[in-house]
Amino acid sequence: MTKVDLSIDDVRTMAEGIGMTGLSDGQLQELLRATLASRARRTALRTATLSLADEPAHVFNLVDRSQP
Amino acid sequence: MTELAWLTIAQASTLLKTKQLSPVEYASALIAHGERHDPHYNAYLRATPELALADARRAEAQIMRGEWRGPFHGVPYGLKDIVDYQGLPTTAHSKILQDSIAQADAVVTQKLRDAGGVFMGKLSTHEFAIGGPSFDLPWPPARNPWNRDHFCGGSSSGSGAATAAGFLPAAIGSDTGGSIRNPAGQCGVVGMKPTYGLVSRRGVVPLSFSLDHLGPLTRTVRDNALMLDVIAGHDAQDPGSANRAAGGYTSELGRDVKGLRIGVIRHFFADDMQADPEMATSIEAALRRFEALGAQVRDITTAPLGEYATCNRVILTSEAFAIHEQWMRERAQDYGALGRERLMAGAFVRAADYVNATRLRRKLADAFHALFSEVDIVITSNSMDPACRIDDPQALEQAYARQSRAPFNLTGSPAISVPTGFSKNGLPLSMQIVGKPFSEALVYRVAHCYEQATGWTQRHPDLV
Repeated sequence: MTKVDLSIDDVRTMAEGIGMTGLSDGQLQELLRATLASRARRTALRTATLSLADEPAHVFNLVDRSQP
Repeated sequence: MTELAWLTIAQASTLLKTKQLSPVEYASALIAHGERHDPHYNAYLRATPELALADARRAEAQIMRGEWRGPFHGVPYGLKDIVDYQGLPTTAHSKILQDSIAQADAVVTQKLRDAGGVFMGKLSTHEFAIGGPSFDLPWPPARNPWNRDHFCGGSSSGSGAATAAGFLPAAIGSDTGGSIRNPAGQCGVVGMKPTYGLVSRRGVVPLSFSLDHLGPLTRTVRDNALMLDVIAGHDAQDPGSANRAAGGYTSELGRDVKGLRIGVIRHFFADDMQADPEMATSIEAALRRFEALGAQVRDITTAPLGEYATCNRVILTSEAFAIHEQWMRERAQDYGALGRERLMAGAFVRAADYVNATRLRRKLADAFHALFSEVDIVITSNSMDPACRIDDPQALEQAYARQSRAPFNLTGSPAISVPTGFSKNGLPLSMQIVGKPFSEALVYRVAHCYEQATGWTQRHPDLV
């Protein structure tokens, strides 16, 4: 999504949807910039190289943590 | 008095153990040094001279009774103010937590206390270790001891500034995308981000659970290893803690680098980004120095810097927003503008993007770790530029991204920042030395060898 796809009103609606209802206009501008930057990162994320075997880094094994 | 400010831990420890220096005299000198100069640098968010003197008196009594606890006994230190010290606020440099009193010590605090350390105070950070330098917070940002008009790096800003300024010989910092190594590099001190899981994060305000590391900032490599010896170790109550033996980080100091295979990730600072010419030249000079010392130096290739940076940022912002969502709903106005904007970047990251970033992380880490079948150690850039002015928001924003530290938060590798000289205008230059997981002793050996050959860490700033 490019910059023109997201307006301050869109961001206000999105923010209200997750309970951030009290943001000022200045704070909504911050959220707009932050969201655009975040979407640019999504585009840059190299997901095409992932295969079914590539599991998340945080998949864990059940080690015994009772020992100091 | 001033001479005491520049003692290394190793030097001070010898004097303290042999009763040639009293812990009270040492702490008093550093308190006076800080009170005189810190108003110009803001390294301390909260100096605690009364606690320092109490610790120093206790250490003195113990040493006089012959109860020597080791090389940290009677040594002053500070904590980045995201680390709990029982009874004091842990503010994270934010209005949000300015009245939040720690109910217990963090694990690192307890370890430093047990080692006989002398607690000097809480040190400035960026708001929640991400939003800074900012002038709209309850406390001002720390400034660079080499030139107070310049940024000192962050987010462990006060840890870097206080160490460089001689207010203390050692400080704890945290590192999620480079926040130990950045201030270390910009302030001309030594900063180690140890292997993920080597140092307990319990009792520390989190930024990003899977990327957060704690580590030491000191003026010399040996001191850094000494401090890591104190704070490393398994903590069964930290889910990320590595269950393996720790310690012995000074064991390889003094050994040479003859025959050691050094891989250089030159594309980070020559192709993926172009480092400032003085920074690049200093790294090239360091590589020639290693060759002269007998190491085998050759280029290696890993994923492009941008790939690592994007992956780090998606994970970091997602995990950080999960922590801050409630406060963003209820107290958004209590954040500084910069911290709020950086934290809000995680508000609308899709779950699939976060999960895919963690899948990429594993791939990037596995591929990076495989490089250590070909080399023993890796050297690359740290910050791409010397410290910019602290009153130039555009330069600060640019500096935030122009770095090659984040890859090693993703890979969890031990990575140390060591000084490589000074720019023409007197600001510190630096590089990173990176090892395979849990190879801190080797990383320190290589860093120490370079330090001994160059002497950059023996210089100190002329303070205002």
